[in-house]
Amino acid sequence: MSFRLTPLQRRSIFLCLMAAPAAIHVAVFALYPILRGMGFSLFQMNLMQPWIHHFVGLRNYTDALTDPTVRRSLVVTIIFTVGCVAAELVCGLCLALLLWRDSAFNRFATTLMLVPITVTPIVVGLIFRALLDPSFGLIGYWLLQAGLAPPQGLLGDTHTALATMMGIDVWEWTPLVALILLAALKALPADILDAAEIDGAGGTRRLTRIILPMLLPSLFLVLALRFTDVFRTYDIVFAATAGGPGDSTNLLMLLAAKEGLTFFDIGYGSAISILMTLCIVLMVALLIVTLRSLDRRMNQA
Amino acid sequence: MKRRTLLATGIGTAAAMTWSRRGWSQTKPFDGMTLRLACVNDQYSPGIKTLAERFKQESGVTILVDILGYGELQTKITTDYVGHTKGYDLATTDNVWAPQLAEAGYTVTLNDWMKHDAEEMKLDDIYPVLFPALGNYDGKQVAFPLAGYANVLAYRKDLYKAANLQPPATMQALVSAAYKLTDKSRNQYGWVANGQKGAACAQDWMQYLAEVGGVLVQDGKPTLDAAPNVKSLTTYRDLFQKAAPPGAVNWDWDGREASFRNGLAANMQTWSVGALGYFDPTQSKVTETAALMVTPTATGMKPRYGIGGWGIAINADIEDRRKEAAWAYIKWITSPEIHKALNLLNAGSFLRKSEIHDPQLNQKYPFLPVIDESFTHGDPDFRPRVPQYPQIQDILGTAVNSALVGASSPQDALSAAQTQALRYF
Repeated sequence: MSFRLTPLQRRSIFLCLMAAPAAIHVAVFALYPILRGMGFSLFQMNLMQPWIHHFVGLRNYTDALTDPTVRRSLVVTIIFTVGCVAAELVCGLCLALLLWRDSAFNRFATTLMLVPITVTPIVVGLIFRALLDPSFGLIGYWLLQAGLAPPQGLLGDTHTALATMMGIDVWEWTPLVALILLAALKALPADILDAAEIDGAGGTRRLTRIILPMLLPSLFLVLALRFTDVFRTYDIVFAATAGGPGDSTNLLMLLAAKEGLTFFDIGYGSAISILMTLCIVLMVALLIVTLRSLDRRMNQA
Repeated sequence: MKRRTLLATGIGTAAAMTWSRRGWSQTKPFDGMTLRLACVNDQYSPGIKTLAERFKQESGVTILVDILGYGELQTKITTDYVGHTKGYDLATTDNVWAPQLAEAGYTVTLNDWMKHDAEEMKLDDIYPVLFPALGNYDGKQVAFPLAGYANVLAYRKDLYKAANLQPPATMQALVSAAYKLTDKSRNQYGWVANGQKGAACAQDWMQYLAEVGGVLVQDGKPTLDAAPNVKSLTTYRDLFQKAAPPGAVNWDWDGREASFRNGLAANMQTWSVGALGYFDPTQSKVTETAALMVTPTATGMKPRYGIGGWGIAINADIEDRRKEAAWAYIKWITSPEIHKALNLLNAGSFLRKSEIHDPQLNQKYPFLPVIDESFTHGDPDFRPRVPQYPQIQDILGTAVNSALVGASSPQDALSAAQTQALRYF
């Protein structure tokens, strides 16, 4: 009796084989480190004191959740994330709408718009640190002279540093959001939009009743991508302020990196990283629920 | 017969070649070996790389030099030691890493070798303070001194003269001069130091604190919020707010060096390693007006000059033969002739009395007498050399920065720091 595969089985095997490299990559470079990290987080272990290595259960987590520095950092990170993502979404959508119509100028402007995202984030941090310096910076010096910046500079004052870092992040990543939304806009069926125009729907009505609902999948993509990226921001803040002044820009990723890579307290650093992962999962889950509910409401309407 | 002779000759020749490749010759015992050195990106690192070629010619050993940033170096060698991957045979180590390295046993303890080779290495020519300062903890020499830095005061002699002031003999005089030399209308500031949160401001404040008699660890316990420390941080904060250039609260070493070299600041407590640049017209606008002096101390205090710099350590995991080759390299790079050559390559990093008094080096570095004085009366413990130093530095880095920007008072900042620090002791 010979064993012969059906076409459906052959197709399934083929698809599995095609997906295998990506699955292996994710398993080895994402899943395995996360699982190892979860394992480390249950131990007290310090690489510079190798004799200290014992199981402590969830103590690293309770220590982190009761540590005032971690809690402050979590609040700062949430403010930074929500602020950046909201601003990038609004600005990105406006840019995409402005560049939607096909013209030579718009094509040129789209290319130019992408310059910020080609610059490495750590270089962006260093550049803005130099530009905003109130003694030497091209922007910072003149802002101070004009009375538009505090004496210590925008990055040196606890009241302005976080907002300034948010502005820098928005400057760098709004073009990416605009690009994704622009591609989505260009893929919208023109006949529906033309019909709406013929029926007398104004610009705002077309935007809110037709364009935005059809853009929901792309909006979800943009929000999910940016939430996960912004929540894990490290390099741009490290380069610009090192988490200061005070703790005003001390994001969770800086804290986790400091615990793990400066103090070599792998257990505690891993616990902070796992808590960050949980926060990201929670945010994305909330996003899915919110967008599904919006989608349902729009379909019913 | 002829074929057997030819065969014997061939075998003999091959054996001779192998013999010499295995480095059994008396003059080049490690001929053909390659050692990897992780070197911090500091003033002396280009010279280390350049001299590697000379070491190869003299010994047959190739030194592959990886020049790394401070954080990257610390992370790479720690993961190498912890993972026992033997990626690096040698590494430059900051003086504050010695306690951790000694406790963990990651680098070779050099005491016996130093004793054995004391005469060859002319150890009595090296300033005694550099041994405890650059790689010793609890009696174990876990790194050999490679690059000694003195904590000095760089100042603008022209501004002092114009204001009819003498260079400060005490810290109190320095603070007073800083205020007198500040004229914001002329973009002139009397003081500059690192203000950026983290290691930058922690280290600069610790230097300042040491010169006014402050102590951060006593009898094995932290004393961060002791009254003298709070008083010193209050004075330091006032200096930043009234006499430092705007933006100094967000500067690290590059920012404060740039401000001094561009003529913005009149006084800067700094490490001697970068001082050559103050007199180089391609790097400085104050070549004719900058001067160096020993760091003043508080009135009535015994002179206590901060010592910093780098040691060079051998990975404890590597094979014994490689350790011997690494030790041979250390002996070579720190020898009088080669270390002088390193400093002729702008290293600005000193070890030996013979270097400090060398006429050729004195012509290149006219401030060597200042370094001589600093090394002679140096204090290796002006920053706490304890295994918990990284945590202390980070905690202070947040506390000091918070005080400098006015986010909390010096008392509150140091009290919070003390509470955090106790967790690690």
